[in-house]
Amino acid sequence: MSGGVLGVALRRIGVSLPLVFLVSVLVFVVLRLIPADPVAMSVPPNATRAEIEALRAEMGLTLPIHEQFWIWFAKAAGADFGKSIAFAQPVSRLIGQALPATIELVVVAAVFATIIGLAGGLLMYRVAGGRGEAASDLASTLIMSIPEFLWAIFFILLFGVALNILPFTGRLDAGITVGRITGFLLVDTLIQGRFGAFLNALSHLLLPSMSLALGTAPLLMRVLRSSLMEVGNEDYMMMARLRGFSERRVLVHHAFKNAFLPTLNLMGVQFSFLFGGTLLVEVIYSYPGLGSLMVQAVANTDLPVIQGVALVYAVAVLLINLGVDLAALMLNPKLRIAK
Amino acid sequence: MSRSQPAAGQAGAVPAPRRRASLRPWRRAIVGGAIVATIMLVAIFAPLLAPYDPNEQDLLNQLLPPVWAGGNWDHPLGTDNLGRDTLSRLIYGSRVAMIVAVAAASGALVLGTALAIVAGYFGGIVDWIVSRLVELWLCFPPVVLSLILIVGFGVGLRNVILAIILVDWTRFCRVVRAEVLVVRRNDYIDAARLAGFSHWRTIRREVLPAVAPLILTILSLEMGIAVIVEAILSFVGMSVESTIPAWGVMIADARKDMYQAVWGLVLPILAIIVTVLGFNLLGDGLRRALDPKLRQRVIQ
Repeated sequence: MSGGVLGVALRRIGVSLPLVFLVSVLVFVVLRLIPADPVAMSVPPNATRAEIEALRAEMGLTLPIHEQFWIWFAKAAGADFGKSIAFAQPVSRLIGQALPATIELVVVAAVFATIIGLAGGLLMYRVAGGRGEAASDLASTLIMSIPEFLWAIFFILLFGVALNILPFTGRLDAGITVGRITGFLLVDTLIQGRFGAFLNALSHLLLPSMSLALGTAPLLMRVLRSSLMEVGNEDYMMMARLRGFSERRVLVHHAFKNAFLPTLNLMGVQFSFLFGGTLLVEVIYSYPGLGSLMVQAVANTDLPVIQGVALVYAVAVLLINLGVDLAALMLNPKLRIAK
Repeated sequence: MSRSQPAAGQAGAVPAPRRRASLRPWRRAIVGGAIVATIMLVAIFAPLLAPYDPNEQDLLNQLLPPVWAGGNWDHPLGTDNLGRDTLSRLIYGSRVAMIVAVAAASGALVLGTALAIVAGYFGGIVDWIVSRLVELWLCFPPVVLSLILIVGFGVGLRNVILAIILVDWTRFCRVVRAEVLVVRRNDYIDAARLAGFSHWRTIRREVLPAVAPLILTILSLEMGIAVIVEAILSFVGMSVESTIPAWGVMIADARKDMYQAVWGLVLPILAIIVTVLGFNLLGDGLRRALDPKLRQRVIQ
């Protein structure tokens, strides 16, 4: 049984690898359209033409584009994305510093989104047919119309500026430093037994992750509700009711279990959007993650960083989808036979 | 009472005359359409409606609050940090939002639907290529891909529209392709072919009308998404030129002064939310009204 899961996992990885290659081709080609000259930004204004040409040759920009690509790709495969033009540091180091922060944010946001999405979906299903239906419908449409970066600004205004009860910049209060072990603050603070710092890091995560979760949850609610409605017609639901189970038990043990799978499939797509949503939310909360790095790199036209971060984003999305597919496979035996 | 058919119980309790019942599924679409139409009109007649030039600076009247928060009627919604009239900037900002919504969403529709129909109708190698292309595109979070494209193309209204088209065509392609695969299996498609219709004519006369309601729904939702993406891009300074007022730019500008002048930040946010809500209500309403399965539930 688990062999089936493993086989599918390997097959999926086999499909993903060419995709990663094509993603890097796409990124490379698009960024070569740029009118700006990366060399012009790394030399002093009084550089001579000869100096510029020398640097151009040194950066490999005189080579044909496909050769440039192969050099870059061969190095990128070994996690060497070159050196940042603006920060004068290896791109891989910049990414290594930013990635744990973003993963931490995404994981906490995904937990919130799941809780809100599932609870909201069950609630919408329960009020369906009654007076609450129109209200819950309208509320979910309204919430769905608010993208995560507007939630982010709204939360800053409400909890940060007006009520002043939650922090909204960075990962920790100024003055608190945590030794770096894994880069995940929630993990590092616990390893070092510093609960004060742990709570501080958690409070910094609260607003950005809630913004992301509210941008993601409404669709989960809707899909869960409509799949609950679909399974509501099934014979086993009728049987469970006839056997005298309470409505709550029928809902949780029979309806929810079966209705969860479509929701899980959607989660894969939604969580990869959530990953993209971190971009602006991080900028708004001055949160030092991949998104902040990307936006800074875009502002500086820092090509090596843009390429590296874009590739990391794509790989992350592929991994999330792979994980969700495997989870679906383990939860639903039917899928194993079908393939 | 069975939970599975909630609308049935509702309609049963209040037996409405048939004529009114047939309008009910459209209610949501009508409200959404009205919101969208209003904003469209504001965008079209912006020069007539706006009391000031959106870029006119009045350095003696910086960061004025709106009239209900202690401001004056010279600037009903206040001014920004350069003393520019917020109302006028909001009105002109609707132009960028609407142009991007209409142009980018239509472009994505044409590109995505064309590929979807070709893939779904002909199948085989074409379908394989289009499906792999969609998979490739879905590797990127949409915001990241549009940002990369803008870096490649450079800023400006036309490039923003192009970037959104090149990112969001997959939304149409995925859904429409699945629908075309279903439509394709119908006997009337074979009948059309047997009657001597060319492929092109079969697509135009039989396949397109069958998927049109779906396309219309996605179009409306996509317009809302385009408004958001444009706001995101202009928020990070990667959208239109700085002389053109856009809601995302207004948010980015007002963020610096959020402690002194909160309304400058809240108003453009509300403008975006109302616009997107309008498109979502319209799209959602169209889906309910045009999808026979859903409609039955409401009318029953």
